[in-house]
Amino acid sequence: MPEDINNIIEMQNVGIRYGQGAEVLSDVKLALKRGSFHFLTGKSGAGKTSLLSMMYLAQRPSRGKMMVFGRDINFTNRDALSSLRRRIGVVFQDFRLLDHLSAFDNVALPLRVCGMDEREIRKRVSELLTWVELDNHMLDATATLSGGEKQRVAIARAVINRPELLLADEPTGNVDNFIAPKLMKLFVELNKLGTTVVIATHSEKLINDFAYPRLHLQNRSLQTLYPNNYSDLGGLNV
Amino acid sequence: MSRPPYIVRKQELPLKGDSTSLFLQVIISIAVFIFAITLSGVLAINSMLENWNQSILGSLTVQIMPVNDTNQEKAMSETLAYQEKAVEFLQNVKGILRVVPLKDEQLKMLVQPWLGDGVNIENLPMPRIIDVKLDTDADIDFLQLAKDLVVASPQASLDNHKLWLSKLIRFADGLKMIATTVLILVVGISAGAIFYTTQMSLGLHKYIIEILHVMGAKDAYIAQQYAKRMAFLGISGSLFGILLAIPTIFFIGSLAVQIEGGIISEANLGIVDWLIILSLPIFATTIAVWTAYYTVKRTLQKML
Repeated sequence: MPEDINNIIEMQNVGIRYGQGAEVLSDVKLALKRGSFHFLTGKSGAGKTSLLSMMYLAQRPSRGKMMVFGRDINFTNRDALSSLRRRIGVVFQDFRLLDHLSAFDNVALPLRVCGMDEREIRKRVSELLTWVELDNHMLDATATLSGGEKQRVAIARAVINRPELLLADEPTGNVDNFIAPKLMKLFVELNKLGTTVVIATHSEKLINDFAYPRLHLQNRSLQTLYPNNYSDLGGLNV
Repeated sequence: MSRPPYIVRKQELPLKGDSTSLFLQVIISIAVFIFAITLSGVLAINSMLENWNQSILGSLTVQIMPVNDTNQEKAMSETLAYQEKAVEFLQNVKGILRVVPLKDEQLKMLVQPWLGDGVNIENLPMPRIIDVKLDTDADIDFLQLAKDLVVASPQASLDNHKLWLSKLIRFADGLKMIATTVLILVVGISAGAIFYTTQMSLGLHKYIIEILHVMGAKDAYIAQQYAKRMAFLGISGSLFGILLAIPTIFFIGSLAVQIEGGIISEANLGIVDWLIILSLPIFATTIAVWTAYYTVKRTLQKML
């Protein structure tokens, strides 16, 4: 597969294994176009989390070539990896918030890591937390928030620095029917502004409501499906 | 929209609550206390050595004991022959600039306060004295010189006081070396303690560090948080240590003065010495911060 500068992520024959175990993913080929929107699907244990963790650069592939923002990550040093990570927003399924910090400080984290001015941080974070209806909980420790509130904090943290790539693992899993469409609207709006979005989900409703292509993991390999050929899998089979 | 809140920024790594904090503070306090006491000892020995060195620098006295013989003339000529041999030997020693045997008149003047006027020293078994001028930069081993002198001229001996001081200087040098070793050990043990507790803390906060990395934090960002915390622990711990050390140094000093030996009292600490001792908290904090910073950087290198 030739390298394309329009691809945010490119994987060529990528495999990943943990320790001496069998490969969790094998021969993955992927070209994630800049500005695209994909759902990532597959049964539990299919390797979604492993694929996402490679995408947000928490792991290097065990084999194969992986390009992120045009850089081969096998030959990228630690500082350059950090710079690449700043261009990626991640929403974890288990939120991974820092419980000893307030909602505000959690959301401010990616901006502080970049060394942004505190006044600008206050302005941006306050706006976003208000938008996700957490303005009354800004200074509350995240340990005291409900599951849905934590999820909104996690999403706000992922999008606060307007990432070029947004990776979300079940981002609407813990929020109610009122907040879920609002959050999806946020992802869609970000995508319209140029952010490439990948959402890992088991939600058939979500996939049906938003007709975006799917990256489907099955038998340790990845295939791209478009709304008109979902039936190839015998239904959604997410 | 609500007004942006006034936020007191909290560090992402909750190092303040680390169980290792108190341990490190105590370690730094003890290290600074021991360091200050030992350093004051080294500085006192240095000042003592300087005083002693001043007293033995520049000149030396050699004594030629008189030969005992019933024949006074023979005894005198043998004594003078030994003096001649000693002079000849001393003139060839590296670092000796001038060798002058004292004349009879000079010897008379030396004994005059005890024996009075009009004494004919030729009738007395008087030792002969040789005044030796030294090169102040020369590194002369007086103990060896004394041995060699006796071989060259068996009746000759170096001034006892200088020899004794030379032995004392050697002993003080040895003490200084031991003290310096203690200083190095204290720094090494403290740095080791900081290294291991920092590594332990990194293990405890691995979860947060992974999140920070995913957010794009560079190793330096994390290391700076450890360095800041260590700066606080270093300053507070070392100030406590130095506050305990100062009265202890005065106490030891007062004990030394009570000896009234004349030698120990020369071991005074000057203003510069006190400035060095008082700057220890800065020195200790710098080492602590540097150790913590590089421990974090080095440990994180092993992560992706």
